[in-house]
Parts: sequence; structure tokens; C-alpha cells
Amino acid sequence: MKTFKLENEPKIKSGFKTPDDYFDTFSTKVLEQVDKKEVKVIALNRRKKVISIVAAAVILIGLMIPIVNNYNSKSKELDAETLETYLSYQSNLNQYDLIKELDNTDIQKLGKNVALEDETIEDILSSNPNIENLISE
Amino acid sequence: MTNEEEFIGQLLNPKTQNTAFQKLLSEYQRPLYSHIRNIVLNHDDADDVLQNTFVKVFQYLKNFKGESKLFSWMYRIATNEALTFLNQKAKLNQLTSEALQNKTIDNLPADVYFDGSEIQIKLQKAIATLPQKQQLVFKMKYFEELKYEEIAEILGTSVGALKASYHHAVKKIELYVTTN
Repeated sequence: MKTFKLENEPKIKSGFKTPDDYFDTFSTKVLEQVDKKEVKVIALNRRKKVISIVAAAVILIGLMIPIVNNYNSKSKELDAETLETYLSYQSNLNQYDLIKELDNTDIQKLGKNVALEDETIEDILSSNPNIENLISE
Repeated sequence: MTNEEEFIGQLLNPKTQNTAFQKLLSEYQRPLYSHIRNIVLNHDDADDVLQNTFVKVFQYLKNFKGESKLFSWMYRIATNEALTFLNQKAKLNQLTSEALQNKTIDNLPADVYFDGSEIQIKLQKAIATLPQKQQLVFKMKYFEELKYEEIAEILGTSVGALKASYHHAVKKIELYVTTN
């Protein structure tokens, strides 16, 4: 097989052609495009700006919805646990304030719960060093 | 162009802009067309890419720093536009760049704007086997007959590296044509 050598061969042309009047009309075509592009660019940029502002606003509002919802629900509805914690650690309520709020039925209920036998009472009284004070009261 | 800075000034001045741009077009449309056509191979694609290239040149002219020559700057834009175009076309057709290139070469005989015989097709097929950079170097040197110094400025490589690249490309092409 004959070895092909590029430099020994006559110059190989690319073989690419163009339509006959291609370069005569090309500059007009490009200048038209440049004019169009200049107008388009401004319009596109403006539209893009508006779209981005609207998008930012929508996202911001979207993000705020759960925050607002949580804020409202938490401020109005206190659950029992929170109330209890508050009363035991934060309030100025003392034992006497609580006793003042008790009515007769509450006191009867308390009495039922404390079922002490006589012996136990005796034991407590005898071991209590302040028994004399209690008697004199 | 005798005084490039002055010419760029004319291109940027709204009063002289149109005349200067016309001059730029008439001077560069043919060499840039050949450059792009050698990359994309098909006339319609070359037409699209050439238009985009000049539109970009016009748009970005105010950012042109004059660090390189206007000629090499425009060739760089044309090269990038052509390569980007090919990548997008390949993606659109769900093909690799190589597959797209081979398909385009196979369609060349049917192209009304291609006037080549068997050896032209074979040469294109041989070029398609080269890495992208070697393809560019070979086409710019062999078909467009640009000087090594000019190619070096366009591609941002040293003349030495380009000569080596061209040499490798020629060897591979010769081997391909001999064995196929």
C-alpha cells in the first residue's frame, strides 16, 4: 500500500462553498441583528429585574407564614404544662394564696385523702418537739 | 489596519461606529467564516455562528482592553462560539461531540455547499480522530494557512507547542489515510 504523505500531495482544499451572494448580504443581516439585540437586551433586563423583585417578595412572604402562625398560636393558647411551670417557678403565689382559693368541697376532698389512724397521730405528736407550742395554740 | 487603537476608537464612537463596523465586517467576514466552517462543517451552522460572533464582537467591544490584537480577539470569540454551538447541538441530539462530527462528515456529500471528492471526505474523517486541540491547530495551519505566531496568539499557546501539535496531527492523518 502506498504511504500517504500530506506534503507530497497537491494541496487539499476544504471543499467548503457558500451561496453566491452570501457575503454581499451578510453585513446587512448582522447590523439588523445588532440593532434588534440592543433593544432586546434592555427589555429583557428590565423584565428580569421585575421578575426577580416579585420572586423575592413571594419568597419572603412565604417564609413569614409559618413564623406568623406560630407566633399567634403560642401567644393565645397556653398549655397546662407551661402554666404549671410558670406558677411553680415564676409567680409570687405562696401557700396562703392557694389556701385562700380553696372552697368547702376542696377541703372535704383533702380530708378524705388523709386517712390517719389514731396511733399514727399519737406517734407524730409524741415525737414532735414542738408539741407544747401546738397545744398552747 | 494601520492604527488599531484609532480604529477601535472609531468603533466605539457612535458617530463613526456604523462605518467602522462595516469595515470590520468586510475585512473579517471571509476569514472568520472559513474558520468557523472548518469547525462546524455545515454552511447553515457556520452562518448562525458567524452572526453570533459579530453580534458578540459588537456587544463586547467596549470591554476590549487592547491586550491582544483585535484580530486574535475576534478569532477567539469565533472559536468559542463554534465549539459551544457544537456542544449544544450534540446535547440536543443526544450524541457525543465525536458522534455528531462523524454524522456531519457522513452528510457532507449531500451538502449543496460542499464541493469535495473522496479525498476531502477522507481527510475530514482523519481529522475527526484527533483530539480537539490538534484538530484546531491542523485546520488553522493547513486550511486557513495562518502563521504559527497568529495561531499562538489566538489559542494562547507557545509556537513550539503548536509546531509539535501540528506535527503529531499530520502524522496521525497520514497514517489514517494510508490504512483506510
